[in-house]
Amino acid sequence: MTDPNARQLFRLRSTYIETGRLAMLSHLEVAHTLERTVRRAGLPFAVSQGFSPHMKIAFGAALPVGVGSTCEIFDLQLVEYVAPEIALEALRAASVRDLMVQECCYISSKAPAASVAFPFSTYEVVFDGDVGVLDIPETIDVVRKKKEKTLVVSEFLAELPEVSGTVVRFTLEAKANGSLRPDVLLQHCHADAIVVSITRVAQR
Amino acid sequence: MTLPYESIWSKVAPIVAKAERPSRYINHEWGSVCKRDCDFRFCMVYPDTYELGQANQALRILVNAVNRCEGMAAERGFLPAADMCDALRAEGLPLFSIEGCAPLSSFDAIGITLPHELAATNVLEILDLAGIPVRAEDRSDDDPIVVGGGPCALNPEPYALFFDAINIGEGEESLPEGLQVIRALRANGASRAEIRRALAGLEGWYVPQLYRWRGVEEAQAAGSWIEPLEEGVPNVIVKRVYKGFSSSSGWEPCVVPFAEAVHDRLNVEILRGCARGCRFCQAGMMYRPVRERSAENVVSSVLTGLAETGYDEVSLTSLSSTDHSQIREILMRLNKAYADTGVRISIPSQRLDSFGVDMATLVAGQKKGGLTFAPEAGTQRLRDVINKNVTEDDLLGAVDAAFSAGWRRCKLYFMIGLPTETDEDVKGIARLVQKAYERAREVVPKDQRGSIQIGASVALFVPKAQTPFQWDGQIPPEEALRRVNLLRHSVKYRAITISWHDPKTSFVEAVMSRGGREASYLVEGAWKRGARFDAWSEHFNEQAWRDAAADLGFDVEAAAQSSYPLDYVMPWGHISCGTSLKWLARERMLAERAQTTPDCTFDHCSACGVCMSLGIDNELATARVTARGGDER
Repeated sequence: MTDPNARQLFRLRSTYIETGRLAMLSHLEVAHTLERTVRRAGLPFAVSQGFSPHMKIAFGAALPVGVGSTCEIFDLQLVEYVAPEIALEALRAASVRDLMVQECCYISSKAPAASVAFPFSTYEVVFDGDVGVLDIPETIDVVRKKKEKTLVVSEFLAELPEVSGTVVRFTLEAKANGSLRPDVLLQHCHADAIVVSITRVAQR
Repeated sequence: MTLPYESIWSKVAPIVAKAERPSRYINHEWGSVCKRDCDFRFCMVYPDTYELGQANQALRILVNAVNRCEGMAAERGFLPAADMCDALRAEGLPLFSIEGCAPLSSFDAIGITLPHELAATNVLEILDLAGIPVRAEDRSDDDPIVVGGGPCALNPEPYALFFDAINIGEGEESLPEGLQVIRALRANGASRAEIRRALAGLEGWYVPQLYRWRGVEEAQAAGSWIEPLEEGVPNVIVKRVYKGFSSSSGWEPCVVPFAEAVHDRLNVEILRGCARGCRFCQAGMMYRPVRERSAENVVSSVLTGLAETGYDEVSLTSLSSTDHSQIREILMRLNKAYADTGVRISIPSQRLDSFGVDMATLVAGQKKGGLTFAPEAGTQRLRDVINKNVTEDDLLGAVDAAFSAGWRRCKLYFMIGLPTETDEDVKGIARLVQKAYERAREVVPKDQRGSIQIGASVALFVPKAQTPFQWDGQIPPEEALRRVNLLRHSVKYRAITISWHDPKTSFVEAVMSRGGREASYLVEGAWKRGARFDAWSEHFNEQAWRDAAADLGFDVEAAAQSSYPLDYVMPWGHISCGTSLKWLARERMLAERAQTTPDCTFDHCSACGVCMSLGIDNELATARVTARGGDER
């Protein structure tokens, strides 16, 4: 049933980077910061009705603390149409350098949420020297909600890692019942060098 | 010795990455200013962690004030959390500033604000982590000049060993003035002694090293604990007042943190000072006279501030925001401006009457969390003693209004151990809270009565310098616990919860609040024995303080608990808030007779002496009238 009084909302999808020191921010800290960025940008965001009104904003899959990105996503509901290039300009003027918005576009109100639309994440890992042969374990034990769980790496690793000199690229798939964090995978891999940075470079 | 001014980020990054909450240390927040063009660098440090200090008004105001001066740059600094302090030491890395990530010791001057009595050991932790000798006398000419200020500067003696100079009162003007003096002298290669001497010549600056500390008999005979060691240094240091406050903008450019911080919202200071004259209250003495920013100023400051920061909440701060003569107009205008935007407007504490609740209702919207009121004492007699000009009818009227308007939770603040308190007064707290609960039940619909919650929070009275109760001792911690238990056993309803602070920390607060220069050796001893983060219950180390006291032969019980006659010269007698000693003593005598003194912003002048001695009057945006009109009582 549709509410005849409901105003049409416009769903703006933005991509942004999370680089440098700001890779150390938690998902919650990034979420707070983006909400404030939207307010500073002066965009006509929609506010939820009810007891505790809040901005209608949704975020993509969480990035672990310490992992950077060139391709993060948030979706914002607007009550008025703003040309994407105008919205982009306003968001960029309100963003801090290392959380800079890169692109804005409108998506259908029925499109899947950013948090589930892109199950495959590609990571680029820079080491402090030649990686040599990256030794990947078959399984990894992780503690989740105080319960130990054994993850089979091949179920998450969408394709075999590409090693070239000091850089490794791999793609992980998020599953409905959990996912393997790129930093956790690397902690369990054996390489000849030490990890300098991990960056999510693509989400699909 | 001192290190060059340069970023040490590449060295600290690996340990920041492993620290609890890295966002405390990374800078790059919205609003962070890194001023490059300068020949003088100042770091303003809060003596606790980032999330506690980031929103601190002193830090924000003073960093801005210094950055506004041509050629001077100011950065923020915080004491890292305990895990990070230890990691820095383990790696041999110095404490660094936030903006430049530069070693603190590379700055020309360092300011440390003294927000409360339990931050003293943190001052030493900061200096030591920075590689700066903790005692001022051990510093070389190359070390930064270390200045202090803030509420605890009203009794600066427990900090005397550690600071080159201490700013008394409001720092908006006096800090940049002091720094300009340091800058000019350092540029000319002046010695630390010459710089100290010059600072002592400025209004509102106290340089402890320029005075000999007298023994008790000598001090009482001389009428002062300090004796100038050089000619021309003042015998009495009077606090500074920022006379431009009311006409200055309420929008103070600020940093918007990534980390979740205390008071993480836009804070607009709508007025400064409170003349209600509660006799235990140091802030009421420190920030006199009362100065209001106009409704026009406040509203435009909020509009600008929210647009610039992106915050969704603004707090209209002051010691008594609902006393602002134009508060209704301010709230109505802000309500209109922010209807349906999700922006929340808050007032930090409610005036204890139905007007206070009216104002809270104006901004509460649908979400009514809890209201807080501070009756402070349980009986009318004791409320008259402390000059809390509030009656039982005021409180019950406020409760009526609040629970009728839809609130279901209410917290009441009380103190125990106030001068002249008896068991009757303690039981009176229980009686008053129960009456409030019964009144709430009367106005709340039957089916919702189960959701009524009334909390009473009890703090132990800490005698504060520069107040009429400065001569009164604190009750011992064990007696405090007896009174708390008496109160707990006097409450019969389960909907009422009683909470209280650990009297052991309040005891250290009293020692620090009332100690003389000897107390600075006690702080040093406690810190050397591992005391730091004393305000954090998980870090508070009572034994370190006890051992330091035993080692020094320092009678901490006497410092906290002794009461003195009104002609006794207290160890902060050389510091003045502008209130006359005669007035403080008169207020103490009126307290003994349970006689009250009116608030001069509503009623006649009580001759506290502030306006006369500081050359400034109360500055109200328009005349104040009480809810009932006419007299306060």
